[in-house]
Amino acid sequence: MIISSSKPFEEILDNLDDSGKIFVLGCGVCATKLQVGGEPEVEAMCRRLRNAGKEVIGGGVAKAACSIKSKESLLENDPAIEKADTIIVMSCGSGLSVVSSLVDVPVHPATNTDSLGGYSEGHVRKDLCAMCGSCIADFFGGVCPTARCPKGLMNGPCGGAMEGKCEVDPDRDCAWELIYLRLKEIGRLDLLENIFEPKEYDG
Amino acid sequence: MSLKTNATYYPAMPSAFKEKLLSDEFIVTSEISPPKGVDASSAFEEAGLVRDYVDAFNVTDNQRAVMRMSPLAMGHLLKEQGLDIIMQFTCRDRNRLALQSDLLGAYAMGMENVCIMSGDYPTKGDNPGAKPVYDLDSVQLLGAMNRLEEGFDIAGNPLESVPSFTKGAVCNTEPDQPLQLMKLEKKARMGIDFFQTQAVYDIGHFETFMESISHIEVPVLAGLIPLKSAHMARFMNEKIPGIRVDDELIARMESSTDPAEEGLLICAEQIRELKKVCRGIHLMPIGHYRHITDLFEMAGLHEKN
Repeated sequence: MIISSSKPFEEILDNLDDSGKIFVLGCGVCATKLQVGGEPEVEAMCRRLRNAGKEVIGGGVAKAACSIKSKESLLENDPAIEKADTIIVMSCGSGLSVVSSLVDVPVHPATNTDSLGGYSEGHVRKDLCAMCGSCIADFFGGVCPTARCPKGLMNGPCGGAMEGKCEVDPDRDCAWELIYLRLKEIGRLDLLENIFEPKEYDG
Repeated sequence: MSLKTNATYYPAMPSAFKEKLLSDEFIVTSEISPPKGVDASSAFEEAGLVRDYVDAFNVTDNQRAVMRMSPLAMGHLLKEQGLDIIMQFTCRDRNRLALQSDLLGAYAMGMENVCIMSGDYPTKGDNPGAKPVYDLDSVQLLGAMNRLEEGFDIAGNPLESVPSFTKGAVCNTEPDQPLQLMKLEKKARMGIDFFQTQAVYDIGHFETFMESISHIEVPVLAGLIPLKSAHMARFMNEKIPGIRVDDELIARMESSTDPAEEGLLICAEQIRELKKVCRGIHLMPIGHYRHITDLFEMAGLHEKN
C-alpha cells in the first residue's frame, strides 16, 4: 500500500489564500487504512477549515482516489464537488493526480506521500519496495536493499552501520543486517556470494 | 596568436605506486583533503611537509559528505607538484556517466591510482539536503573500471583509448562481521590491487583480521589516525563505525602529561608492529601534519630515496 502522512494543518492553510468554496475528498483505500484520509479525517478537516474561517461546501470519501473512472463517477460520489472552487485531496499523490486530471479547479494535497510499504500486525511498515521493476527481492530473503538501504547497495553493507543500525538513522535497522538474519534463518546464506550488476534505469 | 597546449597524455606511464605494491617495500600513503575554497596552498604545504616519506597521497572526495574542491582538480594540482596521487572516488555524488567520465579524466591527467568507496550519506555532512546518488555501489564501480580497462564503457560502448588503473577499495577490520568480510571478498573478486582499512588501534585484533583474509592475495594498507586525546579515542569508539580503541590505550592517553605526543608515540609503536603484519600504512593525520615527520622518524620510517 501507499504510505502517506498528514501535512501540518498550517501548511494546508497556507495554500488556501483565495480558495473560495472548498470540497474535501478522502480516499477509501490506503489513506483510510492509515487514518489520514478516511471518513473521520475528512470530517475533522472540514471542521478545522471552517474554524479557520474557510467556506467548506462538502466532504466525502472516494472508493479509491487513484482509480476514479471519469468526472461523472466523481460527481456520483457527491455532486457538490462541481460547485467547488478548490478541492483538497486526502490521498496519496497518485490519487491527487487522478482527481486533478478530472476537474478544472485547483487541487491541493492534505497529505505527503512517503513510500510504498505495508500495514501489518498493527504497524505501518515504510519503504518496503522502491518499485524498480524486475524484482530480485528473493535473493535478499525478501528484504529489498534497493528500498530499505538508504544507499540502495546491492552487494553488501557500507561501512557505516553500527551495531546493526543504519548510518543514516540510528533507530533504523541496517537493511543488510536484516538480509543476513533472514537468509540465515532460511538457510540461504549462499545467496550472499552473488555479485549483482548495476540496475538498469529505463525511465 | 599561436595556440599552444600544455595538455599531456601519459599512455604508457608506469605507476610508481603500483610497482611498489608489487615489490616487498613497506608502503606509506597519507591523506590530503582539498580546501573548502579555491586556494590549495595549505594542501600543498601539508603535502610538502611529508612528501619525502610518503609513496602516494590519497586525495579525499567530499570526505564525510562535506563539500570541498573537486579531488580531480586537487589531484591534478598535486600531480603538477610531482606527487603520486591516489584519487578517492565515492559513489555518493555521481551517477555512472559522471563516475566513468571522471575516471577517464583522472587517467588522462596521469592519475591512474583510484580508491573507491560508497561514501558517507549526505545527511552526515554540511549539505544535508543533497540528493544522494549511489547509482553504482563500490563492487559495481570496480566492475565498471574493469569494463573501461577492457575498452568499453559500462553500457558496452567501445572506447577510443583505454585506461589501466591501479584499483583500491576500503574495508573495515572486523573479522567477526561476516557481512563486512563478504563485501571485502566481493571487492577482491573484482580484481583489485590494494585495500586501505579503517583506522587500526588493536594490533592483535588486526592480526586476527589479516589471518581471516589470508586467502585473499591483495596488499593491505592499515589505516592509522594518531590519537590526540582520550576524549578523541572515546568519541571514535562511540561514533565511528569499525574503529575500536581499547581501554589500555585510553588509559595511556589519560595519564599522559602530553597526550598529543603520547598519541604519536602509540602510533609509532603501532607502525613498527604493522610492518610485520601487512604491506603498508595509510595515514589519516586530520590536521596533524606538522608532527608527522617526527612520527615517521619515531617509527623508523625514513625518507624515501
